[in-house]
Amino acid sequence: MRRRWILWIAIPGVLVVIGVMAFAIFEPIQVLPRIRIGPGYSLVDQAAQPFTSEDVRGDIVLYSFGFEQCGERCAGMEQTVRDVRARLDEVDTGDVDVRFVTMSLDPGHDNPNSLAIQAERAGADGAEWRYVTGDPEHVSNVIRAGFRAYYEPEDDGTIAFDPKLVLVDGWGVIRGEYRYQTVASDADKIIRHLDVLAEEIRNATGAATVAYEAAHFFLCYP
Amino acid sequence: MTRRATIVGAVALAAIAGVLVAWFLVLPRLRPHVFNAQVIQGVAAPSVSLEGPGGEPVALTDFEDKVVVLYFGYTFCPDVCPITLAKVARARDMLGDAGEDVQVVMITVDPERDTPEVLADYAAAFDPTFIGLTGDPADIDRIATTYGVYYKAEESTSSAGYLVDHTSTVMVVDRNGELKLLVSFDATDVELAEDLDYLVG
Repeated sequence: MRRRWILWIAIPGVLVVIGVMAFAIFEPIQVLPRIRIGPGYSLVDQAAQPFTSEDVRGDIVLYSFGFEQCGERCAGMEQTVRDVRARLDEVDTGDVDVRFVTMSLDPGHDNPNSLAIQAERAGADGAEWRYVTGDPEHVSNVIRAGFRAYYEPEDDGTIAFDPKLVLVDGWGVIRGEYRYQTVASDADKIIRHLDVLAEEIRNATGAATVAYEAAHFFLCYP
Repeated sequence: MTRRATIVGAVALAAIAGVLVAWFLVLPRLRPHVFNAQVIQGVAAPSVSLEGPGGEPVALTDFEDKVVVLYFGYTFCPDVCPITLAKVARARDMLGDAGEDVQVVMITVDPERDTPEVLADYAAAFDPTFIGLTGDPADIDRIATTYGVYYKAEESTSSAGYLVDHTSTVMVVDRNGELKLLVSFDATDVELAEDLDYLVG
């Protein structure tokens, strides 16, 4: 009788411990980390139209940064964005749109005309891939304080910057940051992460939310 | 027999320890409360330091023992702000005494017109405990930006003058100072109250 009482406690306890350990070790659900909230902004695009963070609410957005005189230093990032864009059919994002936004690191110089030149050079159209700029102080807040991306004008007129791509979900939460390494590896990684994010958006509803919160709790990150 | 009893005892103790660890450390954080709002777990709330109702400095860290409901709006706001703040007030009331652990803070996106006095009167009209914060426009822009809030003054034919288009999301900061929830404008007072109840509990 006494032994049975012990078993009634031991078996569920062991199962709970095994279950928790198995979830943490095998990571049956993977999620992208919620790094921090992305910035809100009110800017203008290459068609001289207002463009705000509310315009992409509900969409997944891949942000990149550049400026008119960037040249080769931005070419790699632009290629990565083009590669990701070309491979979107590999990811089932359902009803969620994937958008691309390139922010100017030179808002004192860049205007809709120069943005249009950059957009054409990069192969960006106005709907899915916007080039944006705005008031220099606001842009500084957005990029430096919001995206925590480094950029600094140099004495010779160029701009020193940290090449970076940022993935933001439909709630405006930063879910991925990619420091530019190589064109291929960046695109592969971003596509993989888009797949994980899209799966979470599709499945993390109702009771399944608890399982996804558990995945965040146990840092089941790809 | 003695050896067997020892093994069984050890297994039982390990199981009990496992259950206790799960019960006190894991389960409280996995309590089966499915948040109605969007969860952002483990993200430190961006710093806020502005002017309070009497012009005195107020920081978010002043409320670190409370759950803070943060809203960006303005007093000339014709619809979204009063609807949202009234909803937050009802949700706080639903918590009863536990509502005292919820501090509602409104940050103006119209610092030109919203002085500390104007904001204090406006916030108090919804609930005497609500606090309105204002400050230098550059500081407001930085803080709003880091909370993912967009705002822009728009021309209007309204007798009140210009309007300010802005993000309508309500943010909830938990007792640990972490930005925990993003509450959409569509959320009901009951849904907000359920989430706040969990956080103050």
